Amino acid sequence: MLITWWYFYLAARSFADQTLKMASILQKLITPLFSGPPEPPRNKVTVVGVGQVGMACAVSILLKELADELALVDVVEDKLKGEMMDLQHGSLFLKTPKIVASKDYSVTANSRIVVVTAGVRQQEGESRLNLVQRNVNIFKHIVPQIVRYSPDCTIIVVSNPVDVLTYVTWKLSGLPKHRVIGSGTNLDSARFRFLMADKLGIHASSFNGWILGEHGDTSVPVWSGTNVAGVNLQTLNPEIGTDCDKENWQETHKMVVNSAYEVIRLKGYTNWAIGLSVADLIESLMKNLNRIHPVSTMVKGMYGISEEVYLSLPCVLNGGGVASVINMTLTDDEVAQLQASANTLWDIQKDLQDI
Amino acid sequence: MSTEKLLSRVMEAEPVGSRSKVTVVGVGMVGMASAVSVLLKDLCDELALVDVMEDKLRGEAMDLQHGALFLKTPRIVADKDYSVTANSKVVVVTAGARQQEGESRLNLVQRNVNIFKFIIPNIVKYSPHCILLVVSNPVDILTYVAWKLSGFPRHRVIGSGTNLDSARFRHLMGEKFQLHPSSCHGWIIGEHGDSSVAVWSGVNVAGVSLQKLNPKMGAEDDGERWKDVHKKVVDGAYEVIRLKGYTSWAIGMSVADLVESLLKNLHRVHPVSTLVQGLHGVKDEVFLSVPCILGSGGLTDVVHMTLKPEEEEQLRKSAETLWGVQKELIL
Repeated sequence: MLITWWYFYLAARSFADQTLKMASILQKLITPLFSGPPEPPRNKVTVVGVGQVGMACAVSILLKELADELALVDVVEDKLKGEMMDLQHGSLFLKTPKIVASKDYSVTANSRIVVVTAGVRQQEGESRLNLVQRNVNIFKHIVPQIVRYSPDCTIIVVSNPVDVLTYVTWKLSGLPKHRVIGSGTNLDSARFRFLMADKLGIHASSFNGWILGEHGDTSVPVWSGTNVAGVNLQTLNPEIGTDCDKENWQETHKMVVNSAYEVIRLKGYTNWAIGLSVADLIESLMKNLNRIHPVSTMVKGMYGISEEVYLSLPCVLNGGGVASVINMTLTDDEVAQLQASANTLWDIQKDLQDI
Repeated sequence: MSTEKLLSRVMEAEPVGSRSKVTVVGVGMVGMASAVSVLLKDLCDELALVDVMEDKLRGEAMDLQHGALFLKTPRIVADKDYSVTANSKVVVVTAGARQQEGESRLNLVQRNVNIFKFIIPNIVKYSPHCILLVVSNPVDILTYVAWKLSGFPRHRVIGSGTNLDSARFRHLMGEKFQLHPSSCHGWIIGEHGDSSVAVWSGVNVAGVSLQKLNPKMGAEDDGERWKDVHKKVVDGAYEVIRLKGYTSWAIGMSVADLVESLLKNLHRVHPVSTLVQGLHGVKDEVFLSVPCILGSGGLTDVVHMTLKPEEEEQLRKSAETLWGVQKELIL
């Protein structure tokens, strides 16, 4: 009995010695000037879902140095920890000093921006709208937790079908509509600008063109706005985008719509382009840039749409979220297409349970 | 045609090809992480991807091209045919089998040698003046293999080596002291793998040698357990593989870091794998990581570390292990 106590004493003394030694090395090396609680993050971003899209968003955010803290959340704990460790091992090459991850949403507290990529993704050939009910159920778990820990954040919804799920997120979160954004046709427009610019031998950023409406099969290319250096393409070619266009420019829009299906067919999923496009949105929000992006926002009351649906329109993004929406001059046909999208989306939304 | 109405040509001839082209061989997780890191750091004006799996290759290239609006790399190309890699300044080789859970890197050797017998001559054919950066494991042996198969001078064949191990070490050191890893200095050299060597005498913060503050650093009776930190580095890859199936992001970023020094002629010092025959008592033609100066000519100089006898002994032992494997290879 005495011997047990003796060993216990020895262990405690050795532990105390080690702690003191460590403390004294640190003291010898570093003299603190200011002792207080650790500084809270000022530009924290959370990514919900560490699948291919979530990690592509995370890496783009890190390499563009947009955040001072990055939090990852998912339900698959091993994968989550592995991804966090892999990113942390690269911290020498990054300027984001804190990378954390947990199944528990408390790790996301005080985020300025939360990117939601969680949910099921399209299988080969499957339409985005097919994913709805499964993803609504997942969102019922996710969204209230996000808001609980970051009541002042702006949420960017990426999971598909993005327009419906942005509506769902808005309803479940209780946040004002300017702080719930869907990644929408930001990616479609980026693809469109790349493909059109490629045909002309110029960089995508020098080609201006907008794809609006549903992020999916019924997106609307606004041909009347396509221009290079202010030179309007429709003025050069009045048939542009129509069936009788000899240059068949509408093929480019078809390619945009099919892009995702094509990449999924070839490599199983898409991630790099969507990751880059999300980081681009975050840059405008974080840096209060007032840049215009085609993102999914609440469009009730515009273009004769009477339901609460989310569709992509050109939005001015700044530190507060969606500051304003640009009023496009659309042709009657383009307005009709938007209304048709709105109706399709409302048809799905009205049947959703308990949101 | 709208284009005729839109644009009037000024320059008569077509411009010369790209000036800082990077090729990535292998579009698996490591290859793509390297590609994305290189793209996001705006390091090259052309990126080429090569692989044998044609659908996957095309899909990855398309996915990157769709992000062109957000990037400053105007040409992204991909093909199974190596002609697409012509005139590269740096070729990053990530192709080959990877470790399964619990598998050591040395186990991958013969499979990857066979793959290199196809890849390396093709690279050399189309980019005879490039710098080869080998990442596939076991990296030290495969860098030797790439050197032999390419016929390149030794300053143009580099293995990513312990660049990542050192980064992991500096990250862990940063966590211990609540400092950014870039302010924590420590070098891990030797084999990229289980027998890497942590040079304790060089570990410092702001030039203050930690070993002077703690003479037992790295020893068995070290109260601060620095040996465990090194062990965590060695186990790091196995741990991440166990959790997510593979590692990608950290190695991708470390590759981009090396490519940056090479393309921008920075003359920075990195721990990378090079021919160490004649150094630290190593007699055989083996590649091990030591601090090297990287610039646009390649690996131009080696830094002579002052190592303790035990540390030199460890390096020689690694060299012997590697030579033991290398001399059995059919090249």
